[in-house]
Amino acid sequence: MAFGFCNVLPFSSFLDENENGLRWSCMASHRVGPVGETGLSDSGPSNPHVPYSVFHGSNVPTSFINQEGSAFDFRELEEAIVLQGVKIRNDEAKAPLFTGRPAATLEMFPSWPMRFQTTPRGSSKSGGESTDSGSAVNTFSSKAEVQLESESPISNKASSSDHQAFDHQKHLQLQQQQIQQEMANDRSRAGPSQNQSDVKAPQEKRKGSGGSSSTSEKQLDAKTLRRLAQNREAARKSRLRKKAYVQQLESSRMKLTHIEQDLQRARAQGLFLGGCGGAGGNLSSGAAIFDMEYARWLEDDHRLMAELRTGLHAHLSDGDLRLIVEGYISHYDEIFRLKGVAAKSDVFHVITGLWMTPAERCFLWIGGFRPSDLIKMLIGQLEPLTEQQLVGIYRLQQSTQQAEEALSQGQEQLQQSLIETIAAAGPVIDGMQQMVVALGKLSNLEGFVRQADNLRQQTLHQLRHVLTIRQAARCFLVIGEYYGRLRALSSLWASRPRESLMSEDHNSCQTTATDHLQIVHQSAHNHFSTF
Amino acid sequence: MHYQTESSWGSYMPTRSNTASVGDPLERIERLASENAVVIFSISTCCMCHAIKRLFCGMGVNPTVHELDQDPRGGKDMETALMRLLGSSSAVPVVFIGGKLVGAMDRVMASHINGTLVPLLKEAGALWL
Repeated sequence: MAFGFCNVLPFSSFLDENENGLRWSCMASHRVGPVGETGLSDSGPSNPHVPYSVFHGSNVPTSFINQEGSAFDFRELEEAIVLQGVKIRNDEAKAPLFTGRPAATLEMFPSWPMRFQTTPRGSSKSGGESTDSGSAVNTFSSKAEVQLESESPISNKASSSDHQAFDHQKHLQLQQQQIQQEMANDRSRAGPSQNQSDVKAPQEKRKGSGGSSSTSEKQLDAKTLRRLAQNREAARKSRLRKKAYVQQLESSRMKLTHIEQDLQRARAQGLFLGGCGGAGGNLSSGAAIFDMEYARWLEDDHRLMAELRTGLHAHLSDGDLRLIVEGYISHYDEIFRLKGVAAKSDVFHVITGLWMTPAERCFLWIGGFRPSDLIKMLIGQLEPLTEQQLVGIYRLQQSTQQAEEALSQGQEQLQQSLIETIAAAGPVIDGMQQMVVALGKLSNLEGFVRQADNLRQQTLHQLRHVLTIRQAARCFLVIGEYYGRLRALSSLWASRPRESLMSEDHNSCQTTATDHLQIVHQSAHNHFSTF
Repeated sequence: MHYQTESSWGSYMPTRSNTASVGDPLERIERLASENAVVIFSISTCCMCHAIKRLFCGMGVNPTVHELDQDPRGGKDMETALMRLLGSSSAVPVVFIGGKLVGAMDRVMASHINGTLVPLLKEAGALWL
């Protein structure tokens, strides 16, 4: 890039040959050649005409010739030079030149180099002046020609550098494309066509050895190079902007997926939204489907419980109540069926209770509630019971406990077997085999979930058989309310105040309990109204 | 629990005379099932079989277990026959009580919960009180 700007300098100096501001000598500028050289400052003493004053007296040029040779620095230099020169040179056509519509592709970038690319475009806006601007450009060129000609050995040196040739070739093409684009909007063809031919000439020139002393080609060289540099700048900015945009899109997309999953989980967990479903990992389709079905099931649960409640309070006949009770049992049969389907597609989702609220998950046993816990909870709530019924309930409690114990031990053996298999998956070849074996063992998990759900289902059915229809209705209402409260506990826990927990006060435990009591009272209306 | 292993074929029933041929697997199953009050067909590495064994032991029952993977002569055939009998892809565990087929794990569990398993066991003489 340093090459670019150093070659442009002579060009810009000719903008203003009559003024005292910008008389640069080609010698001065061309010595800048390689990046990092302080060519300008070196050439200072050798050329009394070099007006460093254009940089307001400071030895600013050296700051532009830095190790990076960044286009940014070039840009500032250019701006200073050209603004001075062009402003003075083109009094009548200032506005169009600088406020021309930027090229469509680079519209995003309000950086000033666009102005220069709109120079031919500006010519199209100011219709009558088009030829003026166009010719102005050519006049620049012609003036640059004159000066360059006088310094031809230097310019030859610079322009024939192989290092430049390749770079400029590429940017020349970019340049050409841009010019062609601008041409599409140009009403006047005179200037641009000349530009195009001018642009082509240097290309041909460069393809050769580059020793020709054609002045028109050289001065277009400079102009073209400047444009190339601007293109580079713009292209670089475009790339950066595009990259940033894409990254932003990607992160937004991830965030959206995340939010959708959280929303799904929140719906599935019923009463509350924020704070739950923390894991937020990718939900498999089976899991997502189940979560949605579970959410619907919970809604049905509320509805059916309302039916039970009104049925009990309305003192319906046993026959009518039986229908409602059996409807409620089918409702539970349905969720066990859905869980079976879900376990086939995503056993981990079901068995780890991701579809439950956190408080429910505390009591998780093989993908659901523990039947013996349910019986324990019910024993105090079902009175009055006949002796036969009591015996039946206690027998049910015992058999559920035994069955749970058996399944737990079976699962434990599975886990032990898995540990051994995974631990043995050491060396690569045998390791793969062991992994396959482990996969086979994991497939047993589905069977355990199935059996556990079967146990839950049988427990509920057995309750129905032990109790009278009215007792059964009350029993299922109690069960529904119990789990509703457990789910509510999750949201209450999530929204509890944290200040008291952060204090180092020894009484923090008591303070917390009081706070909790307050939350419960405050939230009572929200969470318990359905019950 | 009684495990019928290859080396002990006939050790519990000295009058056994089936060492010559294996015979029809289904027949063999029925024969084995009728030999004891509670007969479980199992595979040694199957964890659900382990669960069902624990269930019966937990109830105080002493079942006779036939590990099909440890029977080189007819184990595989019996496994296939059981699969057909149950109509399921998994042959084991299968429980026979009093010579009669009860079923796989889910049936056994259901019958335990609804209270029909214990009477069955008592009737077969596997449980007292």
